[in-house]
Amino acid sequence: MNRRTFIQQTTAAVSLTTIGGLSLPSFGTKKQKHITILHTNDTHSHVEPFEASHYKHANKGGVARRATLIESIRNENPNTLLLDAGDIFQGTPYFNYFGGELEFKLMSMLNYDLATIGNHDFDNAIDGFYKQLPHAKFNFVSANYDFKNTVLDSHVKPYQIFIKDGIKIGVFGLGIELTGLVSPKMYKETVYLDPSEMAQDMSRILKDEQQCDLVICLSHLGYYYQKNPTKISDLNLAKKTKNIDLIIGGHTHTFLPKPTIVKNSMHENMLVNQVGAYGINLGRIDFYFDSNNNKTSQGKTILV
Amino acid sequence: MKRITLLFSIFFILLSCKKETHHLSKITSKTIAIDSTLVSNNQITKTIAPYKKKMVTKINTVLSYSPKSITRTDGELESSLGNLLGDLSFKRVQPIFYKKTGKNIHFALFNYGGIRASISKGNVSNKNAFNLMPFENNYVVVELSGEKMIMLIDYLIKSNKAHPLSKQFRLLITKNGYTLSINNKPFDSKKSYFVLTTNYLQAGGDNMYFFKNPIKLYSINYKMRHAIIDEFKSTDTLKSNLDGRFKRN
Repeated sequence: MNRRTFIQQTTAAVSLTTIGGLSLPSFGTKKQKHITILHTNDTHSHVEPFEASHYKHANKGGVARRATLIESIRNENPNTLLLDAGDIFQGTPYFNYFGGELEFKLMSMLNYDLATIGNHDFDNAIDGFYKQLPHAKFNFVSANYDFKNTVLDSHVKPYQIFIKDGIKIGVFGLGIELTGLVSPKMYKETVYLDPSEMAQDMSRILKDEQQCDLVICLSHLGYYYQKNPTKISDLNLAKKTKNIDLIIGGHTHTFLPKPTIVKNSMHENMLVNQVGAYGINLGRIDFYFDSNNNKTSQGKTILV
Repeated sequence: MKRITLLFSIFFILLSCKKETHHLSKITSKTIAIDSTLVSNNQITKTIAPYKKKMVTKINTVLSYSPKSITRTDGELESSLGNLLGDLSFKRVQPIFYKKTGKNIHFALFNYGGIRASISKGNVSNKNAFNLMPFENNYVVVELSGEKMIMLIDYLIKSNKAHPLSKQFRLLITKNGYTLSINNKPFDSKKSYFVLTTNYLQAGGDNMYFFKNPIKLYSINYKMRHAIIDEFKSTDTLKSNLDGRFKRN
């Protein structure tokens, strides 16, 4: 689908869901809880801002500025999660000379909560990634890379659960197919599992078994492939799964001015977002929960 | 109608989750640009500083010298920089390929758009290599059929650009068509040819679709930037000229 058409259709969906939500009465005593999700993707070793002479991103980005922004948002709402959708490595000489040490150190200082693995994170082979793990004070999740026969065995979990202000948040990771994209010498015995199947598994575990209030997928599958529309992508995954509230994407460096609203397999609205690349943007999504015991029907207002 | 379906599905979900006491009622979003309006965090800047210092020293290490500026725009269908990249790639990869397969590369072809900077007169450092080749492109060798070779020639003639080629390939556009020799032998459309390029172009980058689905594809585990650095390191003074490898009569 043409992206422009798609965004227009999305805009229509925004007003629709807004009306749907607001037109409903609320019942019971309410205590609103507020969870903030912050996210980056494809930061590609862009530690410093782009130079003033850059043809496209002049003066944009920079980890030190990102730190200030994140700190102020955390001060405003301590119930914040900071996530990254992969491709942390490769793109500036900082990676070529220090192998990702600085990237992980800085992300740890920014208090990243979780990340998934992108194809470029294998650029110094799986051993190069493993070697830098001691510098990362956050975890990596991937539900569809089976690392059993690699050095990453037991270091990367399929999902992680966070509890913030009593709200249970389940986050799972998905990675792109490595064959043809990364040399087998780099990813070694990593086994790629079907992302759709793993996403169904994860949403079942996180929503049904773990009773999470919020389910987030950290994906490096790519937003959508116009020239290969059936290729698994965030938009396709969103449509054929259920119980996922948000897919945070990466890989295609897609800059979405706002999250895309997608109808999942149950015809419920959910969000797909991606914020370009190189740390020139920070995505922010705020989830508000009403806490009550009345089982009355209520609308969900999506104002994006 | 759609609205009814939506409400119905929300109702259904609420019924199915008996334990749920938190109800997601509202979602808002904002994409925030990281720009100069944000003050830099001091701790972060301090952490970066020693790495930056080392990086700057390494990247400014002088590897070679260029007595003149080497650019991609000093010719019509060839350029001194394109010729340099074509020739150094051939020179660096041919021995690796021969060792791997016992076969010889016929010539190298890259794309004009892939040359991201010039080399200015004076000292040549690691920075030049990073600027020239900021991408992580790896070399590949493709075995192309005569048919695909004709597509390649048509592409070069139609695009009318100084795409980097190695010196083994000599293409002359004439009034009635073209003449092409490869390694001093006339092009033979019944033969197949081994062409050196990058994984990016092989995948159809810059519309070089003739590289797709070759007779055989050989991956070379060698990055173009590394070859450039290796060449700079081993060359005291860079030399590159126009030699008419691709021209119009």
